[in-house]
Amino acid sequence: MLETSERKPGAASRDPDAPGDADAIASRLDLSATDALEQGLSAVHQLTGRWRSRTVVTRPASSEPEPERWLLAVPDVGPACEVVLADRLFHDLRRDELEGLLAFIRGSQDASGAWLDPRGRPDLSLTVLGWWARVVAGDDPKSESMVRAARIVHALGGAQRANFQVRLWMAMGGQIPWSFLPAIPSELFLVPPPVPFGPMSYSPWARGVLTPYLLIARAPARLQLPDASPLLLLRHDGELVAPRLTRHGLAGDLLQAFDRTVKLGRKLPRGPLPALAARRALAWIDAAQQEHGGWFSLRPTLLSLVALRVMGAASDDPRIRRGLDYLRACRGLARIHGGVRTGEIALAQGIGGPPLPIVARLMRADPHARDMAWLLRQELSDPGPWQARADAPAGGWPIETGSRSHLDLAATCSVLDALATLPASSSQVAPAWATTRRATDVIIAMQEASGAFSRFERGEAEVFMRRLPWTDADLLALGHQRDASHVRLTARALAQLGRTGFRIDDDRVARGIRWLERTVADEHTHRSVDTLAALARCCGTVCPPEHPLRRETERRLRTRQREDGGFGNLVDTARALVALLDLGTVCVQTTRAARFLVESIDRAGPELEHMGSVCDDGFGLNPDTFDPSAGAREAALALETFLARGGKLSPRSERPDAPTTHQAEIRS
Amino acid sequence: VTLYAPSTAAQISTSTPVDAGPTPTAVPDARYDVVIIGAGLAGCATAQALTLADPERRRRILLVDRHPEVHPRFSGEFIHPRGAQVLEDLGFYRPLVEAGAIDVDGFAAFENADARPVDLSYASVRNQRPRGLSVHHKTLVRVLRRVVRETNHVQMLEGWAIVQVIRDEGGRIHGAVLEGPGGRRHEVRCHLLVGADGKGSTVRKLAGVPDGRETIGFTAGVEVRGASLPHPTYAHVFLGAWGPILAYPILRGPDGAVSTRVTFDLPRDLPAKGPRLKEYLLRAYVPFLPAPLSAEVAAAVVAHTGPLEMAPTVNLPAPTAVMSGLALVGDAAGCSHPITASGMTMGLRDAETLGREARRRAHMPIEEPWLDLGSLRRYRAEHDRYVPTRQALADAIYEAFRGEHEGARAIRRALFGYWHSGTEARQRSMALLSCSEGRASVFLSEYLKTARHALGASLVPKYARHYPMGDRVRQAQGAARLAREKLGLVAQVMWAQVRPSWLPHSRDTI
Repeated sequence: MLETSERKPGAASRDPDAPGDADAIASRLDLSATDALEQGLSAVHQLTGRWRSRTVVTRPASSEPEPERWLLAVPDVGPACEVVLADRLFHDLRRDELEGLLAFIRGSQDASGAWLDPRGRPDLSLTVLGWWARVVAGDDPKSESMVRAARIVHALGGAQRANFQVRLWMAMGGQIPWSFLPAIPSELFLVPPPVPFGPMSYSPWARGVLTPYLLIARAPARLQLPDASPLLLLRHDGELVAPRLTRHGLAGDLLQAFDRTVKLGRKLPRGPLPALAARRALAWIDAAQQEHGGWFSLRPTLLSLVALRVMGAASDDPRIRRGLDYLRACRGLARIHGGVRTGEIALAQGIGGPPLPIVARLMRADPHARDMAWLLRQELSDPGPWQARADAPAGGWPIETGSRSHLDLAATCSVLDALATLPASSSQVAPAWATTRRATDVIIAMQEASGAFSRFERGEAEVFMRRLPWTDADLLALGHQRDASHVRLTARALAQLGRTGFRIDDDRVARGIRWLERTVADEHTHRSVDTLAALARCCGTVCPPEHPLRRETERRLRTRQREDGGFGNLVDTARALVALLDLGTVCVQTTRAARFLVESIDRAGPELEHMGSVCDDGFGLNPDTFDPSAGAREAALALETFLARGGKLSPRSERPDAPTTHQAEIRS
Repeated sequence: VTLYAPSTAAQISTSTPVDAGPTPTAVPDARYDVVIIGAGLAGCATAQALTLADPERRRRILLVDRHPEVHPRFSGEFIHPRGAQVLEDLGFYRPLVEAGAIDVDGFAAFENADARPVDLSYASVRNQRPRGLSVHHKTLVRVLRRVVRETNHVQMLEGWAIVQVIRDEGGRIHGAVLEGPGGRRHEVRCHLLVGADGKGSTVRKLAGVPDGRETIGFTAGVEVRGASLPHPTYAHVFLGAWGPILAYPILRGPDGAVSTRVTFDLPRDLPAKGPRLKEYLLRAYVPFLPAPLSAEVAAAVVAHTGPLEMAPTVNLPAPTAVMSGLALVGDAAGCSHPITASGMTMGLRDAETLGREARRRAHMPIEEPWLDLGSLRRYRAEHDRYVPTRQALADAIYEAFRGEHEGARAIRRALFGYWHSGTEARQRSMALLSCSEGRASVFLSEYLKTARHALGASLVPKYARHYPMGDRVRQAQGAARLAREKLGLVAQVMWAQVRPSWLPHSRDTI
């Protein structure tokens, strides 16, 4: 648990030890525009401080009530539903917790009856889980909203076509046969680690899911869950429509045959191998439980706890207790975004503890010396599985607070960014430099041969087994190596290396830039403002002004500005503003973007507090999460940078209408 | 235009000692035996070596420098034991120590700020003085000039610069046109013109000596008083930043407080200039120093007023060190990156060699040149033995320490692995680095050992348990490529060691 600051949040309480002195900044402002800019900055600082205080809390004294904990990364209802389902086994949820989670699940249901994905489309897996969790809680399946949900499920092909995670719950609940899930040959767990199809080659998330799955499927586990058969599609003869486990085509057919063979083979005597594999899997689960009680995020934790119970652990087993405590620590309040009760506050189940990438950004926007000391203490100091293929000593930061073995490169970049704000006179500078040195080694070690960077473990996006035509193959890897999240991560890692003095004359940086050039040129999807901003910040740090990628990125980013000065929503505009400032100096476009931010802040009013954005692409089957503090936080960071670079808002009557040099170039 | 009249040489020449005071109104005489351009370390040492080679004071020496005081640019300050021995032989050592110079024990190399340092001590090298010398450059030059003046044999002109060399019909250099304060020009004639005016030598340019000078980057330096060096009497090399950071003591003050020089190796295309350079150093270099030195250096950078002391780092593959009537010494005769701190030692060895040749002909008739063609050939032969070795070592070490590409990083890992492998390895490397070892066999053997370690270090990762084979192969390929590229250099160095001195050079100018 994080420690707190007892001060009042807001700009007025900023640490004098912290950089970016507000008085000095204000003195540079043009008097006519000072008020608006100051007011906007003050508003976002207050909100940033509020979000920071919601996250960073002290352990309360026994006599004090536990402070409210808010989620900084709000997932969809999937995790909450699974926790409700699993509680049939663990009986750990308090009444208020159950009610809170159910309020979140019910409130997030769309009027159509479905639970929606981030793009606003009905999501089969979420709808199955939501329906079932409500039934577990005692809701009437014949109520209108439940019937609508069931119809949506049927329209989407039935519950048996949901993703692997949902089918696993349905198999454990006895709703579908285990043959509806892919077979994992237990012998895989006996192969030496470097073998490309062994568990060590999967992404850390997949390893955390498939290892307990081996034990759960072998037992097999059976949970007492209510009937979900109304969600299943039946043939005319009353039999379940079996889902196809492989993709269409000859390779898929062969693999399907192989899958059947493995399942048939289980009925034959196979000697000591399955038992040996199970022992090894159990040993792995024991070893992989982290100090905070969880495994690698929520779903591996839930399945590992189920697997432990299956293997005979009692409900008061310390491993079970610690795991359940971790799940509890991952819960927090969240505002419902989308659904019949949009805007209401309810208890949501997070997929991990307080996410360090966001915590570090909040601390960066509202820096305090003790926060920096706390960040330094979160550094990884123990060996971890990420070092299997990355040749670096322990260092860097994990994805969630309290984790001690799983590296997260995104968190590492965010924390380094926050630590860079320490003034040279601070007592924390020397330890910060030491951690920066270690983290730099870690970042370098996480570079793939292609030039891209991996987030949690090297090879996480290039799993050999994923090449097989499984329908669930994507769960083995962490996205695709050329997807937008890896482009952004690579850009951030390179920018971070650039801030510590690396330049394009270094072969590793050059390799990364070449990869970005190739990927961005090939993929038309890498043109979102968020991705362009990350690319621009990277190029502004490590590439000379005449570099083609820098010029192209700048051109693309500048053309994304709209008439109102924004680049889309508040968060995108804030990121684009910082990126443009990193590429050069204050210009007409940055001034217009800053004005857009100030006006948006003024216009948003109280809504600004939850004006966030989708922050992460998730991993494996984990959902995208919503970052509610992003709006205020990123706006604060952008406006501060704008002021620090000498930017000021001219009065509206003096707004320049003439095109900038860049705009003129673009038009020509 | 022939300005030289051989028949008048004996008349002009005189054995009367010159009263050499730094009077601003002093003007050069018309005739000297040796005119030395540049009164830095190499120039003063050459003047002193020639003075000592002429105990009867029969010869006339003129020492000229463009700057009335010390050259304002920050320059070399670290001298290996071999150079310290020359300083002692020339009578400079004691005055330097009295002025605050510090005896140094060797190098401590840190692969990164948290790593165990490699102790490359001078004392481990057999048959060598156990300590080198480190001194603030301005103090060094002031003391050297004072000592030279006190000999009362060398005429020193400060504030004078060479603007033209004078040649005879055969193209032999036998004088120079000097320009003094106020633009006054004087012709001086001499048997030998010595160019000791540094890497950007004007003498070299005027004489038309071709060179392949190339600016590698820049060195920025700050002085830190009372710095907490892990090994107070060592020069420290810290790796991990863009370029190596050097830190070494340079001056002991009257109160006993020691000043430390910290230098940062910067890229040629400076990422920041002016006041932003300080920010850049604080962000990109200082974090790669160990605590508490890092905090002390940061404070010194922040407290520094005005622009930081900067000097370009230059790679000047040894040009022809001699021409008829001309000898180049010190950096004018070739220099490389200062990572091995061997530039001043080389300059001192040049001076020593010229002094030895002068001693050999000290009793020649006064009308004969003091240093004839034979002397210059022998000087060149000796110079060409140690300078290419030094340059090859400096280039290779800098490339490895910079770690710009896979091969260089493999060599760096290998070097540190090799040095950590035992005292014998460190002793052999140190003998080469401190210019006390010049045998071709030792050079070759060190090269092969490093290459072997590089291959091993590339194939076996330090931390990763299941390091991908592709990465191992890529690293090994990089190391092998670099080793292959360096083969030509090794051959060149070995040839320089074994080359017979009588063998004419392809571009022989004497």
